Parts: sequence; C-alpha cells; structure tokens
Amino acid sequence: MAITRREFLKRAGLATAGTVVAPGLFGGNPWVRNAFADTIGDRYFVVLFLDGGNDGQNTVIPLDDSAGLLTAYNNNRSTGIGGLRIVPGDTSQPSVIPMVDPNGTALGLHPGLASLTSMYDAGNVAIVQGTGYPAYSLSHAESTTIWETANPTGNATIAGTGWAGRHLALEYGPSDIYAVTIRDAVAGEFRTAGTSVLALQSLADFGFPIDPFDPGDQAIYEESFQDVYAHAQASSEPLTTYLGNSGQATYDSTQSYPPLHATYVADRGAFNNAYGALGTSVSRNLREVAKMIYGTSNATPGISSRFFQLRNGGYDTHADQGGADPDGQHYALHSEVADAVDLFFQDMSDMGVGNKVTMVIWSEFGRRIPQNSNGTDHGSQGPMFVIGEPVNGGIYGNHPNIAALDPQENTVYSQSALDPFRSTDFRDVFGTLLKHWVNMPELQILSDVLPLDTVGSPNEYWQTQEFDMGFL
Amino acid sequence: MGDLNTVITEADVHHILGRTGYGPAAKDMKRAKHLPGLTRADAATYLLGLKRKTLKAKGNTPQEIHDKWMKHLTKGKTPLQDKTVMFFHDHFSVSLGIFDDIPEIAELHIRNHYEAALGNFKDYVKRINTDPAMMLFLNTNRNNKDIPNENYARELCELFTLGTHDLNGLPNYVQADVVQIARAFTGWRIDDDGVAFLQGGQHDTMAEFPARGPKILFDNAHGFPPGGASFTVGGEGANEIDEVTDILFAHTDSDGANTVARRTIYRMLEYFCYADPDKTIVDEVIADSSFDTTWDIAEAIRAMVHNDVFYATTEAQPFNASTKKSVKWPVDLVVGTIRMLKLKPQGKELVHRGGNYLTLYQHTLNMGQTIGNPPSVFGWGWEEAWISSSTLLARYTFIRDIADMRHSGRFKPEKLVDKNLTDPGEIADATIAALGLTDQFTTAEHDEFVDYLSDNGATLSLDLRDYDVRNTKLHGVFALVMQSPAFQTQ
Repeated sequence: MAITRREFLKRAGLATAGTVVAPGLFGGNPWVRNAFADTIGDRYFVVLFLDGGNDGQNTVIPLDDSAGLLTAYNNNRSTGIGGLRIVPGDTSQPSVIPMVDPNGTALGLHPGLASLTSMYDAGNVAIVQGTGYPAYSLSHAESTTIWETANPTGNATIAGTGWAGRHLALEYGPSDIYAVTIRDAVAGEFRTAGTSVLALQSLADFGFPIDPFDPGDQAIYEESFQDVYAHAQASSEPLTTYLGNSGQATYDSTQSYPPLHATYVADRGAFNNAYGALGTSVSRNLREVAKMIYGTSNATPGISSRFFQLRNGGYDTHADQGGADPDGQHYALHSEVADAVDLFFQDMSDMGVGNKVTMVIWSEFGRRIPQNSNGTDHGSQGPMFVIGEPVNGGIYGNHPNIAALDPQENTVYSQSALDPFRSTDFRDVFGTLLKHWVNMPELQILSDVLPLDTVGSPNEYWQTQEFDMGFL
Repeated sequence: MGDLNTVITEADVHHILGRTGYGPAAKDMKRAKHLPGLTRADAATYLLGLKRKTLKAKGNTPQEIHDKWMKHLTKGKTPLQDKTVMFFHDHFSVSLGIFDDIPEIAELHIRNHYEAALGNFKDYVKRINTDPAMMLFLNTNRNNKDIPNENYARELCELFTLGTHDLNGLPNYVQADVVQIARAFTGWRIDDDGVAFLQGGQHDTMAEFPARGPKILFDNAHGFPPGGASFTVGGEGANEIDEVTDILFAHTDSDGANTVARRTIYRMLEYFCYADPDKTIVDEVIADSSFDTTWDIAEAIRAMVHNDVFYATTEAQPFNASTKKSVKWPVDLVVGTIRMLKLKPQGKELVHRGGNYLTLYQHTLNMGQTIGNPPSVFGWGWEEAWISSSTLLARYTFIRDIADMRHSGRFKPEKLVDKNLTDPGEIADATIAALGLTDQFTTAEHDEFVDYLSDNGATLSLDLRDYDVRNTKLHGVFALVMQSPAFQTQ
C-alpha cells in the first residue's frame, strides 16, 4: 500500500535525535569505526528539492526532430497568450542553452538557467533526463514521499525512513549530527530514528534563549533544563521520549552551531554579501549551508555536518507558468536556483573545497506534456541535476518520449533495455551517488538503503547499470 | 470505561475545555463551574450551547489577517467554534497570504469557515467548492472546457473528502475519476462582487466533447453499479458540482462503509484526541452521531466527548508504551498559554509590552504555524511533524519571552502561586498545578524543579516576597515547566 504524507510523517520516527548518549560511549560501536572506510569522508553532499513538480519538459527542451520530439513538443506547447512554447530561434526571447546528448540529439536548457552555463561548459553539470519510477502517482504528497523514502512499491521494511537517513543511521551514532535541513522541519530524505538530524533556518538565530534578569541564574537553569529532558528521554511513552531526545539535541546544537555565522561573516564577507545581494530564499539557504561547510572544513569543535537538504517552492505551476519570458514564474524559479547554485559553487571553490561538494536536484514529478490554458497539470518523469567539480558533466538518460503519451497524457515510464526512450529510475541516481560519492559498498546499498522491489518487476532499476550511471 | 452518563470531575472539565478551546482561562472554568459532578452528556450539551459568532478578519498582509484572527482567539468568546474552525482551516487549506491585493477574498474565506464549521459537512464542502479563495488557490477559475485543469478536482478527492486510500490502505479512486470531476468544474468563475457563477461558454458538455465519454464516476466500484454514478441527473450545467459532491459522499470503502464519514471522523479524532485512532473507535463515533447520514459536525463532537477516547490523553504518570499523548499545535501553545496565564498582548501587532520581544506572528511563524497561511494545500504536518530543533527552539523562545515579561508587570506568577510559600517542593507543586500539569511529572522530574529552585539544595527556603528572588526563581521555574516536554503535549 502506498502511504500518505500524513502517515509518513507520523511513522517517520525522530525529527532531531535518536537516543542521545555521550559520544565516548560509542568508541566500541563497529559502525562508527567502519565509518572512515565507507563514508562520505571529508566530502559534502547537498540535496535541493524543487517542491511542487518542476516542468521537466520546459527545463530540457528538444531542439531537433530526429525522433519526432520537436514536433510533439510544438504540438503540446502553444505560442501566443498563455503559451508555454520555448522557441530557440525567437530573438524576442532569451536564448536557450544548447546541449547535445550522447546520441547527438540537440537539446536546449531553459534560458532561466543561464547562470549554470559556465559550470555546464566546464563539465560540472550532469543532467539526468526522464527520471521517475513505475506506476507514477500524480499526488504531490504521495510522490514526494516516494522520492524521499525511495520506496515506490511500499516496501514495509523501509517505510517511514528517508533514503539518506538509512545511510546515516548505519554510519553514525545516535547523538552525531551529520545531516542538517535548512528549514523548520527535518527533510524527508533524512528521516531516521538512528541518528540526529538538525533542522534550522538561520544560524544567527539559533542560540538558546536567555533571561537577562539574573545572568548568574542561567547556569543552574540550563543544567535543570537538561536534567528534565534527560528524564523524558528515558520515558517509556514514545512521544515523551521523542520530545526528550529532540530537546536535548536541540540544546546541544544551540551551544555549537550559532558561532559559525559570525565566523563566516568575518572570514568570507564578499561571498556573504553576494548571497545577500541575490536576496532569494534559495540563496539565503545555500549561504547557511556554506557557513556549516566552512565550519566543518575548519574542524570547528562540535561541528560535523556533511549532508544538507534545502527546498525551493513554487513549482506547482497550474496557471501563469510562463515559457521563456523573464517575467514568467518558471523563468524566475529557474533563474533564482541557477544564480544561487552558481554562486555557491564559486564559494566552495574559493573556500578550497570545490572538489569536495556534490549537489543533487530533484522534484517530485514532471508536469503534463500538453499544457492547459496557461500552465501545466501534474505529470510523470522529469530531469534531475547533479552538480559539482567532481561530476562528469553532460546528458545522461533518454529524453522521455513525448511523441507517444499514455492515456493520461503523461510520458510512459519504461525500463525495457530495448526501448530507445528507456526511463531512468531515480534510485539509480541516488544509488550512484551513494556508491561513488558516499563510498557505500554496493551490497550494503542494496541490503539497507535501496532494497530491490519485491513486487512489480524486481531489480529493474539496478541491474542495467549497477549504480554506475557514470556521472561520478 | 465510561459513556455519556459518566460523572465528570473538575480535572475532566479542565481537559474538555482545553481540548475544545484554548487554555482554558480561569474565566472559562468559572463559567463552567456547575459542570463538575454532572455527566459527560451535560458537558457536551454545555459545549454545543457555547456562544458562536462570525469573524471579520480583513487584512492586507498575512500578518494583519493573523493578528486579527489571533486577537479573536486570545479573547476566547467562542471557544468551540474557534477550535473547530482551526481544524477546517487545516482541512480546507488555503494560503491566504497570496491575496494581498484583494483582502475581501480572505475575509470571506474565514467567514465561510466560521459560518460552516459546526454545521453540515456536506454543505460545507459545497460551500468550499465555490469559495473564491479556494477557486483562486486551486485554479478553478482557470479550468476551461478545452483543457480542463485538474488541480481542484484532485484535492477535492484526496484532501477534502475521500483521501487517496481508505482505512484499509486500498485506493479510493483512479485518475479517470479526477478527470471527470475536473469536467464538472469547467467554466466556474468569480464575478466582480466575489460571487461564483458558471460561465456557460467555458463549460464542458458531452455534445461538444464526445470523446471524453459520459459524465460518470466510480464505474462499477465503491458501491456504484456498472456504468458508474452520473453527475448529470439534473442535466448538464451548474448543478454538476453539487451532484459530484453528493456522489463523493455516497462512496463506500473496501469494508462497504461510508468513506467520507470514516476519513473525516478519523481526522477529527486525531485533532481532538490523539493520532491513529482505531477503526473501531472511528465507527463508534459515526454510529453514535449518525455522521454518515446527517453530516452534523457538532453532533460528531458530542459523540467524541461522550466516548472514552476523548479522555485517553489525560493519563497520569507513570506513562507506558500505550499511553496516548498528542503534540500541542503552535496555536494551542501560544493562545492556550496566554489565556492560562491571563496575559494581554499589546497593540495591533500583539507584542508583549516592556521589552524587546517578538510579535505573536513571528513566534508562531518560527514554530511552523502561521494562522491564515498554511504552507500548502496539505495544511500543516501534525504531531511529531510539529517538532524539530528549529520549532522546539521557537517554542523555548516564546516561553522565555513570556517568563521575562516582568518590566511592565504583564506576567505575574505571584498571582498564580501563593508568594507566602517558602518550601521549594511546595513552590514547584504550585507552579505545576497552575499550568494544569499535576500528575504529569514523575517524582524524579519534580525533583529537578526543586533542584533549580534550591540551587541544588543550597537554599532550603525561598522568600518569594523578595523582588529579586521572585523575579529570578519564580519566573524561572515557570519557564522551566513550560519548556518541559510535558507542556508541549496534551
């Protein structure tokens, strides 16, 4: 059975912490000792979620008609008022970014993504076309949960945990904080009861609140606060334990994380200002990631975060989507992401960790191939992006076959090796990242993180490429 | 075990008023002082008889809407209605912040909730079908016959009525049903006075679109015969959306039970009681209220207050693995605390006077719940989803702000705890009682509060009449109890 988002959230386990125990107790934990061999090591991994269903068809656009794709595109996306068609030769529109896939097919990237051009030209941007999963859901909540849990078939053994959370739980102790979500709730990808995941929106505002009346009372106050939470951690009532764990982990991180803000601002003022000048939510959030990477890379005591997740909202463009028009919604969404991502990687490079950071960008589904009057309804597959200096840039996977839609007018998900439009299961992308970036052994990925489907057509997603898509 | 004839205590009254309102404030308890010693049935009748009125919350920004709404809640003149509206504000979720330039749309939306929330649920769904804020939020006004827009049709099924899956985990509808429902809503528009009407020229007709087939739902499924249920019995046109709604309300699940009744009561039980109630309890409440035929929301609340399920979260320490507790919503924490402590946020923006404090808008925003502006059509995530390091810190900060509010004398714990008490243990007990948490702490937890008050046993007697002692330790112990896990649940 597919689980709903509410059910997922309820089953999800701990938001911020497993059992918080003094780190010293974990010296004997074999997973922690193994960690140095099989983990992300001194590298960083950033996940960016485009929330709402990004229109993949207007993100990677066919530019030649070798398989009838351009004709199909033109038939499904109109021109004129409300029209979403992006016309490469139209000088009244910003120009698309030309690309060529391994078969020699010409493709174009939405003009709003122009800021990614230099990284793309440098071979640091991989675009994986046509990603999805069998029996797609058109529900935002269900599809988001499927991606976050990497569990399209409702496999009970992994239900309720995030795919990256399953990795984290294997490698790190309950009180370790290796993963941070830049928002007010823990990212679905990171959900796990096994280790601590931090959620914060702004490092500068993450201090434990203090009563100025009698500063001399603060020490005993905080000691008592921690004692009260320690009792709750030991409660046999699950919700109380959960609150106890979360509160203790929150308290601990209020002691270590806020100083990262001032250090970054002092040491990296120009980049700090550049993110501020972009002034978007995604630029502000990537700046918080940069502050933490700076902290971890400088071996700041108490800081160990290497996995980050942030989201950008607004992709549910049922109406007023806009095509290549810079005033349109889709253009604005693409440009705010491209501008911020490009700046972030400049920052990483300047910081000396450019070769240590990889980012993956995903969305819960693509959108309907035929447009409605001025927007698009929910669809099936869409492109993913993998970005960073270590990435082997280029086009991976096949463009979905928009010339032969299913009865719901979405592209068909196909895993047949003979199909020239063979789709890419998103788990192949995550699996490749786990194997080649996080250094997880393939057998462990298959046993604990991305177990093969037990219904439908088992292991289709893994057997062809064995988590070696080639972009890393 | 109990039923409608079970006699209730003062603690039960406190619980009933807290779960069906905010707080409760001392004045709420005073107004209900005749209830202890009477029955659950009497309490339910009292609740259903509480005053109701409408709310006019017009504002040009999300904060202005929030502030007017929040002010109404802190006054608490219509508690049952306020609490039920908040459930439906999440259920029929619209982010009203997008209507900056047309505040009338948001005002009407909130008024619709206030008028419908304790009425007939089927009528409520029909009202929401043509609520202008909802029509704009989910693009009904962009739904054209040539290319129907499915946005509203999908959420009508998934979120407002059926749910994607029933309580047994089986699917309730297929994409073809969503497409058909979208046809019914083609051509609905809003006129200059904010009234919905059907623009006939934009409405999908079977004659114009024969390839789309007959206008039917649930072909040979969910209690409907081969050929399905037609939503054009009254002809094609404006009646179709009501007929679609009637069909959804007749849909049956894999047990043959009414799907909408079960899902709605399940969600109301989660809201008023605790997460994941058993199917048998859902069915009990439906049977006791006849919700699957009358759709009377107030009667469903009456049936809950009669049922043991409503009192499960009052269980005392020691807790065990089957103890039921529920995480307070941010609005519960904020409004409930303000009312319980007799505080009065100042000015239009609801700031606590006398210091550098956040507005209530900023506090609830940081806790993850802005009234009037849920994050998406899915509303808010409940229970554990309310809790992260970020939102917990926001809760601690709100509480610290309140406990610090001493300069202008707005928070006066000495009015809640006898300042002649000197024993740290007795002061801790009195504080815990003032916050409605008697029997919610273990002895060991209680002793931590004593350790704080006594500086780990160094001070065996406190003089609360002393300004500095009172302002340090009495304010401090209130903050400590309010920041504890127990105060985050109900």
